[in-house]
Amino acid sequence: MTLQTTQLLGWILLLPFTGALVLGLLHLTFPRTRRLDTFYAALGVAGPVVAAALGLKVLYAVASGADVTFRQTLFTWLSVGDLKIGLTLSADALGAVMLFIVTFVGSVIHIYAVGYMRGEKSFGKFFAYFNFFLGSMLLLVLADNPIVMFIGWELVGLASYLLIGWYYEDPANVKAANKAFILNRIGDFGFISGLGLLFALVGEGGFSFADIAAHIGSVDPAMTALVGLLLFVGAMGKSAQIPLYVWLPDAMAGPTPVSALIHAATMVTAGVYMVARFSFLYESVPDVGLFIASIGAASALLAALFACYQSDIKKILAYSTMSQLGYMFIAVGLGGYSAGIFHLFTHAFFKALLFMGAGAVIIALHHEQNIFKMGGLKEKMGLVTATMLVATLAISGIPPFAGFFSKDAILAHAFASGHTFIWAVGVATAYLTAYYMFRLFFVVFVAPPREKAEPAPLDRTVTWPLVVLAVGSAVAGFFGLPEAYGGQNWFAGFLHLPDRALHLGSGEEFLLDMLNLLVASAGIYVAYRLFARSPREAHDAAAWQTMLRHTLYVDEIYEALFVRPLRGLSRLLDRVVDNRIIDGIIGLTVGGYRVASAGFALLQNGSVRWYALYFMAGLCGLSLYILQNIGGE
Amino acid sequence: MTLNPESFLALATLLFGIGAVGVMSRRNIFVVYMSIELMLNAVNIVLATFSRLHPDMGGSVIALLIIGVIAAEAALFLAMIVQLYRKKRTVDSDAFTDLAQRRLS
Amino acid sequence: MGMLLSYIVFLPMLFAILMGLFRVKFPILRAGAMLSALLVFALSLYLTLHFDPAAEGMQFVRRLPWIHNYGISYYLGIDALSLVILLMTAFLMPLLYLYMWNYEKQGYWYNMLLLQTGVTGAVLSLDLILFYLFWETMLLPIFVMIGRFGHGMNRFNAMKILLMTVLGSMAMLFSILYLGYEYYEAHGAWSFALDHLATLSFDPKTSIWLAAGFLLAFAIKIPLLGFHTWMAPAYSSAPTPSVVILSAIMAKLGVYGLWRFGYGLFGPTLSYYEPTIVVLAVAGLLYYAIHAIMENNLRRMFAFSSGSHLSLIALGIVLTNLYAWSGSLYFIATHALASAGIFLMIGLLYRRTGSVHISNLGGIASVAPRFGFLFAFFALCIAGLPGTGGFVGELLIVIGAFHEGIAIGFAAATTMLAAMLFVFWMLQRTVFGPVTRHTAQFGDLTTLELLTLTPIALLLVVTGIAPSLFTPLFEPQLQQMLQTLAQTVGGAS
Repeated sequence: MTLQTTQLLGWILLLPFTGALVLGLLHLTFPRTRRLDTFYAALGVAGPVVAAALGLKVLYAVASGADVTFRQTLFTWLSVGDLKIGLTLSADALGAVMLFIVTFVGSVIHIYAVGYMRGEKSFGKFFAYFNFFLGSMLLLVLADNPIVMFIGWELVGLASYLLIGWYYEDPANVKAANKAFILNRIGDFGFISGLGLLFALVGEGGFSFADIAAHIGSVDPAMTALVGLLLFVGAMGKSAQIPLYVWLPDAMAGPTPVSALIHAATMVTAGVYMVARFSFLYESVPDVGLFIASIGAASALLAALFACYQSDIKKILAYSTMSQLGYMFIAVGLGGYSAGIFHLFTHAFFKALLFMGAGAVIIALHHEQNIFKMGGLKEKMGLVTATMLVATLAISGIPPFAGFFSKDAILAHAFASGHTFIWAVGVATAYLTAYYMFRLFFVVFVAPPREKAEPAPLDRTVTWPLVVLAVGSAVAGFFGLPEAYGGQNWFAGFLHLPDRALHLGSGEEFLLDMLNLLVASAGIYVAYRLFARSPREAHDAAAWQTMLRHTLYVDEIYEALFVRPLRGLSRLLDRVVDNRIIDGIIGLTVGGYRVASAGFALLQNGSVRWYALYFMAGLCGLSLYILQNIGGE
Repeated sequence: MTLNPESFLALATLLFGIGAVGVMSRRNIFVVYMSIELMLNAVNIVLATFSRLHPDMGGSVIALLIIGVIAAEAALFLAMIVQLYRKKRTVDSDAFTDLAQRRLS
Repeated sequence: MGMLLSYIVFLPMLFAILMGLFRVKFPILRAGAMLSALLVFALSLYLTLHFDPAAEGMQFVRRLPWIHNYGISYYLGIDALSLVILLMTAFLMPLLYLYMWNYEKQGYWYNMLLLQTGVTGAVLSLDLILFYLFWETMLLPIFVMIGRFGHGMNRFNAMKILLMTVLGSMAMLFSILYLGYEYYEAHGAWSFALDHLATLSFDPKTSIWLAAGFLLAFAIKIPLLGFHTWMAPAYSSAPTPSVVILSAIMAKLGVYGLWRFGYGLFGPTLSYYEPTIVVLAVAGLLYYAIHAIMENNLRRMFAFSSGSHLSLIALGIVLTNLYAWSGSLYFIATHALASAGIFLMIGLLYRRTGSVHISNLGGIASVAPRFGFLFAFFALCIAGLPGTGGFVGELLIVIGAFHEGIAIGFAAATTMLAAMLFVFWMLQRTVFGPVTRHTAQFGDLTTLELLTLTPIALLLVVTGIAPSLFTPLFEPQLQQMLQTLAQTVGGAS
């Protein structure tokens, strides 16, 4: 591995942050003016686009050189004892790929947002937040040590919080934002605990990823496993896995570009990236990996089931995101890091595209989100329909679109690693994915329209990004063309991740792919039969279907299990513990004084004769004492 | 019959006791006053006795001084009793409990 | 140079006395107060420039005999610990004066001046009797400010804080006097100087009781769990600048005292109390945070938040390793900034709406974007957002805690959860959401207010982005202190 210093990374990081700063200050200085909107848009888009160009340059440089890592230390962030944390950026193959995804998809969505958010108030603030998100995400991706990564990790959470609560006049949206941040924070509790423990274990030798990798071998495996688990708790929160997933569907309260960028393409995949980044740690603890894969499989299946019963277009996509993230965790859990990152790569294209297509439909239909109130849009919105079809095919795993290859890589890896049950769950999820995605597609675009709604014309900044991503969704899969199809899986070779080596014959892989294709086609067929002609939002359903439509009442259960008891406890502490017990104890002393003073006050009756009696009593007592102790010699 | 010092001291103790009981049990301020005088005189007797016992005139001098003070005090005391009587038209000491602890509001 | 610390301590009081003697008019009074605060700030910066972080022990020492017979001396000195708190105080005072620029209650200004002398004196004095005097000097202005200029049940609450803190300081005074007596027994002369008393050695039982006196005073001041019932009432009825001082500076003196006198005098003994303090601190960290959730009064809510964070700082101090100590010291400074910011914002809220109750607020971001932004910023600082100084402190303490053991580490890491429990729900109901009747006429920040708040916000960002600028100031001395401590503990056991 060769190291190469560069100034590029610093600029890539600085551009979006500077954009955010300038936009934010301008917005705060002129909060109400609309005249700057064009300037805001230009400035907001410029940073990410330039960063994307530079990112592409970095990726190209990394790909052309043999195992090159770019590194740039901006300054020492903190130095106390052994804890020397530099604000160091580094881009190895994994980092460069993520850098490319984030900047490229990011800029496309920024351009899309210009059209989508046009006419919204606080236009400048939106781009300030958006740029801020991009910068934070880059910090996360380019970080050379886990502490800086954690800083980025938290800052993307903040950006996500601010953007989910974009329409903050409605308390429900703010509540969704809170939910997202709080559940993420619970994950972060695990993350930072893991980091603290990791530093206690290997901190003396430096704390960059390379240093940790060099020293992790000397650590007690039980401790390594604990660290791995704790870090994964962070990933659970950020990447919306069971049990911390409930924030993701609610996060759709934000504007659609936000959902596309943050809650589909980039931020939610940070958990997968983190696990891949720590692959040196996870490869030594396969049991934790199996746990990760199981959580991933469970999340994938559950989310797919939920998606089948949703009628809000964005919620379907949100559950679909969670389901696809589950796939990625299956891969990274079972040691197929390259496969996981490959799916992350392709998913970024087609899921962003799906969201942007959905967003286009939503603004065209004046903020209608219920798919059963749409219909027949294929005549009126040809371009959107075509691009959506590409993305839907890609996510359903139909060759030659991107999702087919990446999903195949994951399922083949799961099958080859011998965890047949997880593989089976993956295949079942693939069926459900094809079903619910085409349910969406048929209902929205193909089925006859329900209401005579004339779609509003779309801006060019909204439609062109769709095309760009559609091309990406169609061809991105070929980067990881497996050997069974005459490729050499260039992507995995490029990433240099410590994949668990598994061998699967070409014939077997071919068979598996046929199976995947078969179940996906079955899903599409069922969706076609049910929804292409006369879609009906089924209401008279069995009990289990009602349960699924209400997503198993998980929100309500969490509310009853955690939120209410916590609030109750808070009231209890205030009214009983503080006011009664602690102040009660303090009150006892005060009360003691009161009682005693009342007793003594009785003696003070004002009658001189009584006072004389006290005199005499005191005198007698004193005399007695003198006689007994002093006079007695 | 010789008078031994014990009998003087016994007399003084007796007088003091009578005076003390008088102060504590009687309510008429005049009687209280007289009881106080009794106690003072008991002390005087003790002082004179000891002065005689130890050849030291200091005790007798103080006794004489006390007699003088008592005289002055009597004037003051009687004047105060008159004042008290003017206030409440009574010389019952239990009527003058203005300094008693009153229950706080 | 020898007089520098004396100037820093007594300038505000001198100004107060002079202006009081001449009965100056309000504009001169506020100008004078501001001038004194700025002078103190400038002197503190000058001091920092000449401060040698690598040197051992106290610097700029000024030592004069004062009450000769009893060995009481006028003894000032500064090291990294006191420097951080001194700088914080000196930085915040001018901003507080800026905040109360148009507040025409003259008595209040005099009290503020006295308070600054009390606080800086307590931080800088190295003679225990002198320390005690300053310690009480800073309590009285607070008492007057709450009782006379506060609101709500101000009289009662002022009495409560006075009695509870005096109870603690009486116990401390007893311990101080006993220490002086012990020194007299051992050396035949009285002395209350810290470095003299630190050489004494006691049998463990005496030492435990003596330490208890100090610890009681500090536990009430911090306040640790169980000693805290003065806190919320006092914060809720005190006027804003006193709340800022209570939370940002005076509470820090509790942990400072634990540090300076607890470890300076009773290093080995403190290990006896460590488990108790750890339990109280961890329990307090969560207790206060949970308590804050349902709090409707913003001042009380952030009073509990302050308690929660101070518990974390106290935890960091008793962990006695470099990371935890650096974290605690860093957090002392940054939490002072963040809580000053949030309490000033709450004060501005009160000025505008006449209410600090969450149920009356909402939609501030819509009507006053700058106010909403800064309010959310300070609230997020309280929640320990990375990129702000608070995160650095929390991170270091968590790392230090994991060095001591996994269980303590997890306990310390709950700070990630603690603040978010109430901060986000609070933001939801104040800054965001629909505009209410009370906030409909909400004015955005004026230039004067911006001038007050932006320095705090900027410093918070700088401390968050480049902590390496500040840590070299105190790291070497902390390391030395830890080594000394390790030697004394090793020698005792």
